[in-house]
Amino acid sequence: MRQRRTAKGLAQADLARELAVSRQTINSIETGRYTPSLPLAIAIARFFGTPVEEIFHADHD
Amino acid sequence: MQITTKTSRTYWITPAAGVACGLIYLIAFSLGGQPGYGLIALGVMVAFSAAIALIGRRSETVRGLLDHRDERLAGIDLRATAVTAVAMILAVLAGFVIEVAHGHDGAPYAIIGTVGGVAYLGAVGYFRVRS
Repeated sequence: MRQRRTAKGLAQADLARELAVSRQTINSIETGRYTPSLPLAIAIARFFGTPVEEIFHADHD
Repeated sequence: MQITTKTSRTYWITPAAGVACGLIYLIAFSLGGQPGYGLIALGVMVAFSAAIALIGRRSETVRGLLDHRDERLAGIDLRATAVTAVAMILAVLAGFVIEVAHGHDGAPYAIIGTVGGVAYLGAVGYFRVRS
């Protein structure tokens, strides 16, 4: 997710604002410390215009 | 559902509850003939409420805990509340045992424990139906 975010030229705070979550949550997702809920995962995937499974994998976060 | 700049009505529930508690303390102390202590208690609660409201303006964590719009912080709040509940349960159980060991009837710990137990069963029943 970090690669997709940086490719869009977005800071964590920018993505957090777009997804209506905290910057800490974006950071925790990117570092694998937090697994987002299904609605948030879908929202992230939609934001990047990609299927959920291309960003989140069952074998690793 | 913006979290970074706007504040919601939910954000103000905890500070407002703090002030409401302070007013209740004031009334209770006044009824008990100690209005001075009531004013001190009210002052402490107002200061606490103002502090968390102001800190929430600068701290993303405090803001998230107050407005409950961030799912991760809401989860942290829920787990922290559960840990707090376990600590309270242990304290109530310890208080009950100590009271009984001193030959008393376990009050008020027995009543507090009963309220907690009934609340837990009610919550399990409610959420079982709702989810």
